[in-house]
Amino acid sequence: SSNEHKLNFKKSKEACLSYIQDALLQKQWKRAAEFLTCYVESLEKDYSREHIGPSEMIWRIGTEILWHHSQSKMKEFNCFMEQMKTLGVKRYLKVCLEHVFHLLCNGQIDEAYQNLSLAESWRFGEQTAIQDKEIKLIQAYRGLLDYCSWSKQKKILLEHGEDGFADLAVEQEMHGYFRKAAVNLKEIIKIPGVWDVFVKCYVDLLEFYGEHNEARQVLNEYAYNSKFPANPNAHVYLYQFLKRQGESKKSLISALKILHDIVPSHELMIDFNTMLQKSKKRKKRHLGLEVIFAALDYAGWKENAKAWSCLARQVKQIVISEKHLDWIKQEWDSRKDWWTDFHFSHYLAKRNWQENKSLSCEKALVAGILLGKDCKYFKYISHQGCKARLKRFRMLKKFVTRHNPVYLRISG
Amino acid sequence: GCWIPSPAPQDILYRSGLCRKLRAGKSGATLDFAKQLGHFFVDHPEDAFGSLGRLLHKNFYLGNAKLKRPARNSTIRMTALVEDIDRLEARRGCPRQHLASRLRWFSHLCRDWLFEVPLGLLADCLHEELAQQWSNLLFDDSLTGGALAWLPPEDGETPVGRLVHPGGQAMNHLYFQDVVLEELPHARGSPAQFELSGRIRQVAAARVDGQDFVGVRSDYHCGVWRVPGKTGAVPAPLQVIRTDVPASCLTVSPHLPGELSVCTQSGTVYLWSIETGLQQLRHDPQTMFFRDHSPWRWSDFTAHPRVLSCADRTGLQCLDARAPKRCHFDLFKVGEEAGCQQGERVVLPMYLGRAHPSQYLVTTQFSMYVLDERLPLVPVLKWAHMMKAPPLFAHLMPGKLGKSHKVLLGASCTQELLLLQYRDRFWGVSSGGSQSACQLAGTPQKLHSITGCLQHLPTQLPHRHHLLQQRLSAPAAGLAATLQENGPCKSMLIFQLSEAGDVFCQRLIHKAAQPPAPPSRDEATTAPGSSPLFEAPASSPHGLGTAALQYRRWLRALSRSWREPPQHTWPPSLSQRRLFTHRDLEGPAGPSSLQKQMRQRLRQTMQEGGRIQQWEPLALQPPPLPQTLELAGGPDPLSNRLTAAWAGDWDQWWEERTSFSVAQRQRALRERRRRQKRAQGRRSLSASFTSSLTYQSELSELSDVGPSLLSPGRPPVLSQEGSPPAGSPPVRSHPPSPAPDEALLSSQSLRCRGIPKERRKTLRDYLSVWAEGPPEPPELPGSQASQLCFPSSQSQLSSASQPCRKRPRMGF
Repeated sequence: SSNEHKLNFKKSKEACLSYIQDALLQKQWKRAAEFLTCYVESLEKDYSREHIGPSEMIWRIGTEILWHHSQSKMKEFNCFMEQMKTLGVKRYLKVCLEHVFHLLCNGQIDEAYQNLSLAESWRFGEQTAIQDKEIKLIQAYRGLLDYCSWSKQKKILLEHGEDGFADLAVEQEMHGYFRKAAVNLKEIIKIPGVWDVFVKCYVDLLEFYGEHNEARQVLNEYAYNSKFPANPNAHVYLYQFLKRQGESKKSLISALKILHDIVPSHELMIDFNTMLQKSKKRKKRHLGLEVIFAALDYAGWKENAKAWSCLARQVKQIVISEKHLDWIKQEWDSRKDWWTDFHFSHYLAKRNWQENKSLSCEKALVAGILLGKDCKYFKYISHQGCKARLKRFRMLKKFVTRHNPVYLRISG
Repeated sequence: GCWIPSPAPQDILYRSGLCRKLRAGKSGATLDFAKQLGHFFVDHPEDAFGSLGRLLHKNFYLGNAKLKRPARNSTIRMTALVEDIDRLEARRGCPRQHLASRLRWFSHLCRDWLFEVPLGLLADCLHEELAQQWSNLLFDDSLTGGALAWLPPEDGETPVGRLVHPGGQAMNHLYFQDVVLEELPHARGSPAQFELSGRIRQVAAARVDGQDFVGVRSDYHCGVWRVPGKTGAVPAPLQVIRTDVPASCLTVSPHLPGELSVCTQSGTVYLWSIETGLQQLRHDPQTMFFRDHSPWRWSDFTAHPRVLSCADRTGLQCLDARAPKRCHFDLFKVGEEAGCQQGERVVLPMYLGRAHPSQYLVTTQFSMYVLDERLPLVPVLKWAHMMKAPPLFAHLMPGKLGKSHKVLLGASCTQELLLLQYRDRFWGVSSGGSQSACQLAGTPQKLHSITGCLQHLPTQLPHRHHLLQQRLSAPAAGLAATLQENGPCKSMLIFQLSEAGDVFCQRLIHKAAQPPAPPSRDEATTAPGSSPLFEAPASSPHGLGTAALQYRRWLRALSRSWREPPQHTWPPSLSQRRLFTHRDLEGPAGPSSLQKQMRQRLRQTMQEGGRIQQWEPLALQPPPLPQTLELAGGPDPLSNRLTAAWAGDWDQWWEERTSFSVAQRQRALRERRRRQKRAQGRRSLSASFTSSLTYQSELSELSDVGPSLLSPGRPPVLSQEGSPPAGSPPVRSHPPSPAPDEALLSSQSLRCRGIPKERRKTLRDYLSVWAEGPPEPPELPGSQASQLCFPSSQSQLSSASQPCRKRPRMGF
């Protein structure tokens, strides 16, 4: 009966697909290709309402096979892609985009650009409106390629210096690229999303032509618009821009403060701490201590010698001045039940000593102040240091012993 | 050495021609409800028929003699009926026998009222249970995480690592097996072994400060062991917790020694520290982002030792353990941000801290995602894995110094195994921003499954081949792997555990990437597929011989276990023929010591001419009266009923009684069901207190053979100091009946108790069954027992409000 036939057809279609997947996952490209030619028949009766229909399957699998197959050529690949574009108008632009990526991976930048321009001008009734997001992406990537051309021209211009008339033409051409790139890049970064590459390129363009206000506006929008995902990179770009502009410490600090709130473990926290430590304001120095303590909470910072030296420096400063011991106490109270095992165990003392003497010295100072001179970490390191007759460690021991009462005040 | 397979569809589904016809059109399973209810009546006759039986016992006569005249009016003789039942059983229940007419008549007469079970409630419970078992068959998430852990050797030491895995008939033995990594990895020495009181679902391990912490999860217990870094060091059990609801997750902190996180199916997440105990971080029976019925929960650690992630089927959140109510953020949501499909659900999250401190792996039934906790909700990598079953196991092997990280994904019932590699060069921000994103390196690769090796094995006799096939196609239960560098030769060893307790191993040998086929142009671009990849060994010349040897040994052990008669596969049957045990026949062997004493005292008093004021000797307490078979506590219902009948309000009594008893039974049934659910998975286990460390006497050296195979049956358990004397069976949960007193069985004493003659036999019969059972060992006081098991730890209750239970307190 027809029902049975349909069932059997469906079954063999599924079986075929699973053979293809099997072959793909075992890198048997040739076998996969042979099965795929059989699978093409499934297009004949495509009643499926699955998430991914057969035609999309063929596109995805075919691309993968052609990419890896030892005998495939770029010409065949392009031909396949053209067929795929006509096979499914519903994802015409997606296929185009994928095609462009493949061309770029093969270094065919001009062909890629051409393809992007073609895709941009594609019109197909309602479908054009439905694939609105894709068209934005295609425009953005075209903008990106324009930016690449622009920066090539820029390089030529800078290399040649200020001599010759030809530069005028180059400059004009370059300006053309700039306009084309800027229009497209500006569009994409209006849509909420993560557009790190596009934003960086656009800001670079704007800065070159001295449109700093526009650049600042773009970066502020990217960082602070609540519709965008909370992207720490946005704040990093803003900070770097402000730094390049030679902005005041205050605005730099406020940019980093937000980064600290989002990602306390960011690498820039060391810069932030150094900046805050130098500040004359008490509040800022206090924040600095908080920042460095918070960064060292993270597993990725465990052996970061720079961070430990920052903390050691600030702790030393506070202990010597004997002011604001309560800051240390406040930070330490919420950590004393786990930092001992996390940072200052006997095992870590041994390992730090073997691997990085200067790290172990900084850590030992902090341990000695926070946990007293009898703590395992400090004892081990100072003992080893004195045995090795290193002056630095003798100083360390002297300092901690002299300031041992501080420990009682912190832990009390 | 036998393995008890989990229930199969045919155990639960209704099978008959009619039904099959009905089902041909539509899909969907029909659960065999009637069969299961029938099982209930057979398995729990006391519950189903007990009380009416008690009410009717006067009217049913079980003796052989003829009934006398006055009794015949109100009593029927059941002996013939019982004989009919016996005969029917001898014919294996063939219903087409005219013989059964009397039975049919009886069942027709009695079937509406003879049982006294709240059928509606029972049916609800049964249906729920069947549905749950069926969904477990479709997808069993209790295995999530896998029950195999690899403890790598310390750097610079001999290449001896350790495999931690369950084994034994019920997968309730925990083994720590040393494995030497040579050409072909092999086991060294016999494993350290612990007997636990539940099926082991998950084994998780992490190394902190040079020591390995191994967490073990069964349904109602979680335990933690410490394994010192030195090779050959003895693993030490540290602590056990018990949960009221099955635990669904146990992960070990990679940051702090002795910290774990536990989730239960009630939606509770705990941070469990060996030193400070349990800290509840969250309790929410609802799922996080949208409604999903699954009670599965998961939790893992993050880059910050005080921040834990917790997951359900709808996504992941991160909680700060210092302020879990206030500080949390969403890490992953099934939905549009991640581009999820309809019906997509989280299957297994895993912290990828060893590769990158802030990255996370989340697998669903369709895709795998890599997330960065610094940019939550937007995956930095997504790939559709195309696996047929959802990946329940994952294993990470971090690549050092910019090399790709390797992730293995494994599924349970299809045994699929997938290797994928990725690079995490996401966010080199401060150095000016190298923009290469987190990406897959090369194409993912499917690895050999356990069943796949069958075709490479020598041909067997057909029936053996079939058995071997069955054994090899047992669902996978765990996954572990390690990278090995032996000079220039790099390889990857992958261990796979099957539900039958076998551990299999395969090695992938690294071959330098061949230069990609020259592209049509001259640009020297490297195709993404040309990165170094592992390839399965076609035939490694040295390894093959040894492997064949190992295989032959395993097969021999396996066939030996098949030949053995299966033990305890039938439920113990009670013989009705043997009415008297040898003990009864001994009869009263003279007066007891108490009687002697009393007689002597009487004689003495008579001689003295005094009198006895108090019969009880001061020093001796009389033996406690054996409990009557009637419900203890409260006056017995029969006399109640008679009293009521005399008073004339019998109707009211009956109404009260039925409503009371229905309510009571419903309560009892609920309670029992709860208890049974808890006891699930402990089926054939004796709740042993001896978790002693044992070493098998036999030489067992194969790691890819479950130790259970080499020593079929129970391994000898050497008891530690202070444990019950060797030879005595471990403490069992007590049967619900009182221990029979010997004197109770003598017909004299039965008569004394006013039990009619024909009932005496039945009673004796009943009691004899218990008299034949093993002698009850003296019960250990709870505190002593807990000391035996874990000298250094206390067991902690997950909720303090629970009063003591009947189950043995100590789990593992």
